[in-house]
Amino acid sequence: MSNSTSISEEASVSSEMRAHDFSKSLSSLFTPITPPHHQQQQQEPQPKSKKKRSQPGNPDPDAEVIALSPKTLMATNRFVCEICNKGFQRDQNLQLHRRGHNLPWKLRQRSSKDGARKRVYVCPEPTCVHHHPSRALGDLTGIKKHYSRKHGEKKWRCDRCSKIYAVHSDWKAHVKTCGTREYRCDCGALFSRKDSFITHRAFCDALAEENARLIAANTDASAAATMIPTTINPPLLHHPLYHSSSSSYSLPNPNPNPSPYQLKPEGPSRSLLHPYYLHHLQTTTTSSSSSPHLSATALLQGASTMDPITTSSAAGAAGGGQRGCSMSDAGDPSAWPRSDNLTRDFLGAVAGETGEEELLSLTGALGLDLVTAASRDRRDHSKRFAGFPPVTETWGDR
Amino acid sequence: MDTLFRLVSLQSSDQQSSFNSSRTSSSSRSSKANHQLFHHPFQNQQELDKYREECGNNYHLCVDEDFSSSSSSKHLQPHLSTPPTAATTTTASTTHVLFELADFSFPPDLNIDFASPSSSSSAAGGGGGRWAAQLLLECARAVAARDSQRVQQLMWMLNELASPYGDTEQKVASYFLQALFARLTSAGPRTLRTLAAASDRTCSFDSTRRTALRFQELSPWSSFGHVAANGAILESFLDAAAGGGGSPQPQRLHILDLSNTFCTQWPTLLEALATRSADDTPHLSITTVVSSASPSAAVQRVMREIGQRMEKFARLMGVPFKFNVIHHAGDLSELDLDRLDLREGGSALLAVNCVNALHSVSPAGSRRDLFIAALRRLQPLIVTVVEEEADLQPASAGDGGGEEGEEGFLKVFRESLRFFSAYFDSLEESFPRTSNERLALERAAGRAVVDLVACPAAESAERRETAAGWSLRMRAAGFAPAAFSEDVADDVRALLRRYREGWSMRSAEEADDPGGAAPGIFLAWKDQPVVWASAWKP
Repeated sequence: MSNSTSISEEASVSSEMRAHDFSKSLSSLFTPITPPHHQQQQQEPQPKSKKKRSQPGNPDPDAEVIALSPKTLMATNRFVCEICNKGFQRDQNLQLHRRGHNLPWKLRQRSSKDGARKRVYVCPEPTCVHHHPSRALGDLTGIKKHYSRKHGEKKWRCDRCSKIYAVHSDWKAHVKTCGTREYRCDCGALFSRKDSFITHRAFCDALAEENARLIAANTDASAAATMIPTTINPPLLHHPLYHSSSSSYSLPNPNPNPSPYQLKPEGPSRSLLHPYYLHHLQTTTTSSSSSPHLSATALLQGASTMDPITTSSAAGAAGGGQRGCSMSDAGDPSAWPRSDNLTRDFLGAVAGETGEEELLSLTGALGLDLVTAASRDRRDHSKRFAGFPPVTETWGDR
Repeated sequence: MDTLFRLVSLQSSDQQSSFNSSRTSSSSRSSKANHQLFHHPFQNQQELDKYREECGNNYHLCVDEDFSSSSSSKHLQPHLSTPPTAATTTTASTTHVLFELADFSFPPDLNIDFASPSSSSSAAGGGGGRWAAQLLLECARAVAARDSQRVQQLMWMLNELASPYGDTEQKVASYFLQALFARLTSAGPRTLRTLAAASDRTCSFDSTRRTALRFQELSPWSSFGHVAANGAILESFLDAAAGGGGSPQPQRLHILDLSNTFCTQWPTLLEALATRSADDTPHLSITTVVSSASPSAAVQRVMREIGQRMEKFARLMGVPFKFNVIHHAGDLSELDLDRLDLREGGSALLAVNCVNALHSVSPAGSRRDLFIAALRRLQPLIVTVVEEEADLQPASAGDGGGEEGEEGFLKVFRESLRFFSAYFDSLEESFPRTSNERLALERAAGRAVVDLVACPAAESAERRETAAGWSLRMRAAGFAPAAFSEDVADDVRALLRRYREGWSMRSAEEADDPGGAAPGIFLAWKDQPVVWASAWKP
């Protein structure tokens, strides 16, 4: 490739070096912003971190390390057509373009068979983590984007918020979602602005003490878990725990569509479930985003989505430390067709019976069908719990 | 309805009742009450009759022409010139009153004010012009000149027109009239205490939260300063933490929060700290100082609840957090800052956040300078100052807060009028038509106005200064301005975009004073700077 020939003089790292020599000497707490396309090379020991997914830039130890100059990385359109002077970022594209001019063209094949090693790239910026070969990035496009993002000038700005981006595609991706996201608090209030949502959330009545305590306890395990895919739900439904505790209560017509959220059962059986819960987390974190930004925001939303189910149960449960839920499920709250009042009243009325709690929590999660079905039972329950202080009072913050 | 005046009621005369019939409901209510107002200044019934005779007839004629435009069957009279001249022929005794009116060209002013039909107000006389400002200034001048007759006339007229539930002009008129009345009767501090007690009775965490959050949702008045200050604090902390090479040990930030916004500033800072990195979130301690002349149990309850919520929220966000509330009775300058353990034994970086706090320090003597010097001694990493832009310092520079003369009073009055008119105007346009939160905010502003107009400056906690004034003090104490970074400026601009039209941001640097008379940024409402935010470093 003409790429390598032009940069070979700039390559400062000889192929003698092996990436893995450096791996042990580096701490691996670097968290990039959102480089989803960085390839995960196999690496020996997983770096110790709270994130379950490995850090990008852990290349194949046998790969050839290439260092490009900043100029090269930032350059665009290095390949120019001699006829029309159109610039291309890649030689391949230029060749294809030359076909249009009826010029002789040749597409080079990627010579991966004949011992040409995998190429990985290091960042030329000395202060950057990716400057070391052990943290080289595997993709040329990747290193270019990385360099622009971290060390380049941010030229693209979002209109709505004040975020600026160096890479055009990052900016485009952001503009698509900026302002379209809505924030919903437990109490039902809907916000289009993040800051007013945060401030509201901080003082909202629906902020649960026990929930937070459990979050703190589970932070190590659950920090990375934000999005749980829907496929988890069926296994949870059939968890033997439910069967054992649902003796008196028959689950009416389970909704075949699993809810977007994975519901963590709670109650005195929490200790029992804990290992299960942790196990779940470890298996389901592959799709979680690595961005701390997202996880923190998801913490807010995750708590909010979980709260309606768990708040009432905890309010009813003795000791108050019965929260089983965590921040792990932050699905899209707006996708959940729940009726707050109905759910809350319903669950609040049944507080005190932990066995039923779990099921009722579950029914709440499974959609309105169950809620309405269960509400029929609510009237019976509410009679029994007439003396119970109205839970809705404590967190109806409309 | 009109709770401003609680004096013994007078019996209404026939004239007044016929007067009343031609009015709309809002002012008729107030007109019943307004007679109560004038019970006090009158020495005896004789004077009262004479007054009624003088003013009642003529005002009946004059005012009827103009003020009952919306309800009476009479056509809207564009000019007032004919009725007074017609009235002058009625009785000789009334002439001097009208001459007085004519002397300072009262009617023509009124013409301009009331001729333009009001679009939103239903009350009689609520004009499209700035009648409140004009009338109030005239009244203030009369008060300063101790012209009791004119004062009575103007106050009577204002009372007719004013209402705390009307449009902006009526509200401004109402609260300033209350303050002027308190000044006249030398009941400033007492009125203030009564009003404060009344608001305390209804004060609760819920109401406070609702008011504060709604205000921030609808108006950038307070969130402007919050965003700017948070940005400055966070950036300076991160720079210091990174520069100091403190990566092995987790950083600790301690914020001394002197503000009146009930900690609504901090959730966004907590979120910013949390989202920066999930692994090494710095430890945040906040020491909030709530100072008031008379500490109230309600405020203590509110702060306790706020503290609990903040702690829960911080736990939710995963930020190690510590929260302290200090209730300080008395002037802020008397607070002993060294006892607060602000540096946590030397391991924490200190940031001081002053939102509307500096102006609560009494302007008497050199208290403000001493207080700022005390802040300087703390050697904070950064001091953020957010203040409202108004020059309400007592005019006498030497005394710095003694009894102000007439000029001083007029200056403060004029400036308060300007500032609070802008404030009320912005509230009116930001909030919906009926809003309890806005009413609470307006009442709080009304209390501030009473303090400014009717109470001595030395005990006042509302004597704001301009950005230039504060900058001088900060510099004198040894602080240097720290400009807001482009990121923070962008954040503020983005913030303003989320609100309605009318708000703008501008830099405080004067073009003609490149040394930077006033660093920082202004929030402007209809191009009038109202809030100033700045950052300072030792």
